[in-house]
Amino acid sequence: MNLRDLLSPFFVWQRAFEKPYTSIRPTIDRPGAPAYRGFHINVSEECVGCGSCHSICQNHAIDMVPAAEFEGRTGDSGLRPRFDYGRCCWCGLCVDICTAASLRMSNEYAWISEDPDEFHFTAGVDDKPWQNNEHGYRRAEGYHLYPPKRIEMDMLSPDESVQSFEEVARGYSEAQAKLEADRCVECGICVATCPAHMDVPDYIHSIRDGDYEKGLQLMYRTNPFPATCGRICTRRCESVCPVGILGEPVAIRWLKRFIVDQVDAKDYPRILNDQIIESGHRVAIIGAGPGGLSAAYYLRKKGHAVTVFEAGETAGGMLRYGVPSYRLPDADLDKDIAYIVSLGVDIRYNTRIGKDIDFEQLLQDYAAVFLSTGLSVPSNMRIQGEDHARVLSGLQVLADVASGRDPGIGSRVAVIGGGNVAMDAARVSRRLGAEVTILYRRRIADMPADEEEIHESQEEGCNIVPQAIPVEIIAADKPQQVSIKWGEAEMVQDPTGGRPRPVLQEDRMHTDTYDCIISAIGQGSDLDFLSKENQQQLAIEWGKFTPGEYQQSALQKVFVGGDVANRTADAISAIEDGHHAARGIERLLNPDGFTATQTDNTGEPA
Amino acid sequence: MNTVDEILDYAIDQEQQAADFYEDLAGRVEKGGMKEILMEFSAEEQRHKQRLLAVKSGEHELTPEQEVLDLKISDYLIDVDATDDISYQDALIVAMKRERAAYKLYSDMAEKLPESHLRKVILGLAKEEARHKLFFESEYDERVLRDN
Ligand SMILES: Cc1cc2nc3c(=O)[nH]c(=O)nc-3n(C[C@H](O)[C@H](O)[C@H](O)COP(=O)(O)OP(=O)(O)OC[C@H]3O[C@@H](n4cnc5c(N)ncnc54)[C@H](O)[C@@H]3O)c2cc1C
Ligand code: SF4
Ligand code: SF4
Repeated sequence: MNLRDLLSPFFVWQRAFEKPYTSIRPTIDRPGAPAYRGFHINVSEECVGCGSCHSICQNHAIDMVPAAEFEGRTGDSGLRPRFDYGRCCWCGLCVDICTAASLRMSNEYAWISEDPDEFHFTAGVDDKPWQNNEHGYRRAEGYHLYPPKRIEMDMLSPDESVQSFEEVARGYSEAQAKLEADRCVECGICVATCPAHMDVPDYIHSIRDGDYEKGLQLMYRTNPFPATCGRICTRRCESVCPVGILGEPVAIRWLKRFIVDQVDAKDYPRILNDQIIESGHRVAIIGAGPGGLSAAYYLRKKGHAVTVFEAGETAGGMLRYGVPSYRLPDADLDKDIAYIVSLGVDIRYNTRIGKDIDFEQLLQDYAAVFLSTGLSVPSNMRIQGEDHARVLSGLQVLADVASGRDPGIGSRVAVIGGGNVAMDAARVSRRLGAEVTILYRRRIADMPADEEEIHESQEEGCNIVPQAIPVEIIAADKPQQVSIKWGEAEMVQDPTGGRPRPVLQEDRMHTDTYDCIISAIGQGSDLDFLSKENQQQLAIEWGKFTPGEYQQSALQKVFVGGDVANRTADAISAIEDGHHAARGIERLLNPDGFTATQTDNTGEPA
Repeated sequence: MNTVDEILDYAIDQEQQAADFYEDLAGRVEKGGMKEILMEFSAEEQRHKQRLLAVKSGEHELTPEQEVLDLKISDYLIDVDATDDISYQDALIVAMKRERAAYKLYSDMAEKLPESHLRKVILGLAKEEARHKLFFESEYDERVLRDN
């Protein structure tokens, strides 16, 4: 070894006292280019926590973490993306996929810290200096990784549809369904919003895989009415689907229908393979509507002997007697019901509790009772002359048509109301050949009916007159006709709160004559089958039960659900109530074997 | 009724009578949940009475000049009877109509009087009743006319 080798480490030391060549903040004068892909910016109020950014990231640089301030928001998972800059490669895919367009990138790229664990942050939640940076990378306007528009469903044209009661929506072809299924980002936000918590992303995935049997199995886990819901569900899932923020939501309802339509009813037993081990318990259900039958299905699966008492002569409740067949053909409703009944559910038709059998008797004879009797009493307008023979109830007209009877509406009718029943009564009247005017006291935007129904009723030629308040029914010159006096309304903000209220303008009154007036302003419950004592015990508010946990009433053995116990009054809520009550009854009958699941709610009516 | 105190006493008595009316009906009704609602109506009338007592003692002032929204719902509804099997809808109709009658009574009274302090008080009472009418009519609009 020569002397130089020995001394060389000491030369390095000489340098230690010189001015350094590196600077502490090297980028101070080097801003990123305007469209540079720097640190992420998320407008967290607009983000819905769908996690698409997390799913698409090839480097696993994004975790979805809870953000307390967004928990519990409708259509929001309550999670926000947290970035790991040890992994991010700045590809910008997360920005490209972001369903809410809340995510972009700044042109900042310098973040200096000696702690390597620090380079994690939850964009839009953790305070960072680049949050308000206006530069950086954004998705180009109009650029989408998935098609923003849904695949159109083939529909009968309005001209054709009013000719008959044939189903208006024709269903997707396999190719259409696959294309539509491809639009799903599989975030699962819909699952939380669906009252029945259906496993939407997974059954949509089964369409991509072409495995419809799997799809059917997934649906039956929480909903034994998929053929029905695939047609007439109020689809709250679609209203929160993040794909709908920048485009149209995934057509979840039509995809559900597609799966059911692919499977033949005769294959259900093999596919669903419901094995029943008898428990020895007997449960009574009042009402064979979707609430009652959903409970029947899940109770039967637990091995309980189920008897359903039904006042009418067929099953289905309002789905049979209310919803017209051009929206829900009998054959499809029957497909759902037949499978439930095939598990050994005993339905006693033409048996009204309170008349043919006492409610008290059921309490004595059965281990538990589930009550889902629906809303069957049409509300009255309570205006002068309402008892005129040519004033018909919407429910009666629909029930007549469903049973093949002629409701005798004539050729010019006025429908009063703006809910589902009013729209159905109007569209049914069009199919019976009548000219239809709908009088509604508020604005079209305030109508509680489904937007699609309102649109289709207009397309089929129903004339909607909004802000029209009926004040009197008057006998017309001809006995087979009737006149209605109505006044125009102005919408006025109520200083005491609530939605804007219609105020009658007494100087703008009209009188028109029709062959009949169909009143469809709402319906209430008929609980007269319960004794006064039972009614007091069961906790009733404004004609509806107020159930507790697992739909249990104040009477331990009695569970309540469906329209008569929830605020939403739609099929899917009734189905969920029935499922939930079945779980509650299982808990009552078999407390040791029962375990709660995450989706068990606390009993708050939906 | 000539003095302000007399008219206030009358109005206070009317509120008490209304409260008693609902309480009595609550004791008789058959439909589940109806009793609670009628007791709530009765409590509402008691609140009206307390307000008027406060007016009489000078703690609170009537506001005859304040405009009150008139939804005119009860004006066109038929009369219904307060029977034992009264429904929710009809109970609200009874309540709206009672408030409307009181409102009409005071406004008609005020119309017949010359400009005076007494007239102002009576007009103030009319506005109170108009507010009560609005309360029950809003309730009717929310609950009974929900689909409509
Ligand atoms: C015209 C119309 C259109 C609708 N459209 C839609 C729609 O598009 N989408 C949607 O989701 N929902 C819709 N609905 C609502 C949906 O039909 C109901 O939410 C659903 O049927 C409620 O189910 P349920 O089990 O609570 O009661 P119901 O379906 O009303 O069934 C109750 C059953 O109980 C029976 N019953 C009652 N009392 C007794 C007794 N004392 N003894 C024995 N049996 C008794 C009745 O005969 C009936 O069969 C519509 C309703 C109507 C009327
Ligand atoms: S994709 Fe967009 S909306 Fe969805 S979680 Fe990520 S940032 Fe939020
Ligand atoms: S359907 Fe919409 S909400 Fe549901 S998982 Fe797919 S993208 Fe998400």
